[in-house]
Amino acid sequence: MESFFARYRDLIVLLALLLAQVIGLAVQVHHTAAGTNTLDSPDGSGVRLIRLWANATVSPPERLIHAVKLGAGSLWLDYLDLRHVRQRNQDLQKTIDRLRLEQAALLEDARQGQRLQALVDFQQKYIYTTVAAQAIGSSGSDQSRVFYIDKGANYKLARDMAVITPDGIVGKIRDVFPNSAQVLAINDQTSGAGVILETTRTRGILRGNALGQPQIVGILSDNRIQPGEKVLTAGGDLIFPRGLPVGVVEKVIRDPERENFIDVIVKPAAHLDRLDEVLVITATEPRFSTEQQQDLTTSQTLMGAEAAAIKEQKKASAIMAERLPGLTDPNAPAATQSSTPATGQPGQTPPTPAVIPEQGQPKLLHPQHPDRFTPNTAAEIPTDASPAPAQDTSPDAAPNVKPKPEQANPQRPEPRRNP
Amino acid sequence: MSVLDANFRRELEIRRYPMLVYALVPLAALVLQAWLPRVLGRYAWFDLPLVVTVYFALGQPTPIQGTVLGAVMGIFEDALSHHAIGINGVAKTVVGFVAASVGTRIDVENHTIRLILNFLLSLLSGAMYVFVYRILLGLELDWTWFTELFKAIGNSLIAVVLFPALDRLQIRD
Repeated sequence: MESFFARYRDLIVLLALLLAQVIGLAVQVHHTAAGTNTLDSPDGSGVRLIRLWANATVSPPERLIHAVKLGAGSLWLDYLDLRHVRQRNQDLQKTIDRLRLEQAALLEDARQGQRLQALVDFQQKYIYTTVAAQAIGSSGSDQSRVFYIDKGANYKLARDMAVITPDGIVGKIRDVFPNSAQVLAINDQTSGAGVILETTRTRGILRGNALGQPQIVGILSDNRIQPGEKVLTAGGDLIFPRGLPVGVVEKVIRDPERENFIDVIVKPAAHLDRLDEVLVITATEPRFSTEQQQDLTTSQTLMGAEAAAIKEQKKASAIMAERLPGLTDPNAPAATQSSTPATGQPGQTPPTPAVIPEQGQPKLLHPQHPDRFTPNTAAEIPTDASPAPAQDTSPDAAPNVKPKPEQANPQRPEPRRNP
Repeated sequence: MSVLDANFRRELEIRRYPMLVYALVPLAALVLQAWLPRVLGRYAWFDLPLVVTVYFALGQPTPIQGTVLGAVMGIFEDALSHHAIGINGVAKTVVGFVAASVGTRIDVENHTIRLILNFLLSLLSGAMYVFVYRILLGLELDWTWFTELFKAIGNSLIAVVLFPALDRLQIRD
């Protein structure tokens, strides 16, 4: 037995290592209900520990290289690469003199430009909270389009936060370490971002292909999709805010695996291959400055005071309308206004003006009982249920009639309340 | 199985290096592999950890060291990616074993042989990667041959330059 192990020691070590890794792989992959295999997400504690070690090992040298690169660049530009500087200085001095003359002429234009610029800045001001970070490394594999940034959990970064540049979206945070974070770029095969085409409003999922190009997959053939069309985030993935630029359509190809489907290759707006600084969106709640918050508060206060004033005015109008007699609603139904002319004869309906008053003009109401104060109504018969005596309805006799006690009230003009 | 027999090995000069070289060179390969693609973009057609694995495996008296080094380098690469840990590990374990086994039998000082060896082992690594990813794990992987071909060419060219430089770090009696 001992000679067997000694003889095949190399093979045994090989098989042991392979077996251990295969078992480790089997632990990380699980079968889904859809019948496909997928990797565990997020990683298990053991896997995460290995990643943490690897990151802790590689990140410090990467930071060092990054710092050396910046320092060397600065050293070269500021101290070493100074050839022809004297001649360049003279040229620049001449340029400055010329520009000073032009400055006066352009001053007015510049002021106008500043005003417009301020307007555009206000319009384009980004209201989400972001954290700036520098890209310091990558996975080193073209099958894994991830890179590392120099900010991590200490800056309150968390998994699935969107990573963007002013040009467009970059990816999302996949893993967070204390002082760094791993970002999954949008051109990775396992990434996914909900996008929408600006013109055709076609929605789809953006992922990377084998060549590291972002592509929108699973779209039915559509002749309207043309190269050059802008692609924006759709906002449905709960990672990227809606409306961020993603890129433009580069070309449309037929899906090799599914008939009637196309893949839309997208040229990303952000330079994914050469990222230096990125922004991580740490909160999608709108962020307002102190002045904006004060303006909002003032606006809400004014709106409340104005609403209260309007309500008070309406209330006063209603009270006045109830107390003012003789005014009627010009929009009252025509059925209540008889067109029969005044005759003064018994048994006839009370007269009303022959001409309907114009819209908006107040009209004198006809009194419910004849009186001597209202013109042309002295002999009219009231229309209510208590008919007046026949002998009192004569126009000539009316002034001489002595009112009976029970008729005292009807003879007084009573105010009619508006409905 | 006779080719795996210890008696089949040729007499070769055993290479030894300072411990610092064993630690720093693989680490530098991992760091550069993580950093250089940021500079070169999509044209980073090389795999420095693989080249270093092949170099150290070729100079070892037994395949065990090359196998272990390949496993460690592969697992490190996997840990820096977002894929399952072990995919590159399995691929580079096999590559390390094959490189060490071949290194005990042929003259690996010749530049042409080094170039061809790196080219073939790079292709083997790519094939193992795809095999583990697609067949063993059953995961979807979009993959192109010419990328692996370019990577193999890149690895070969780097090896031609890097191997003589690393040879200078040997401890000579």
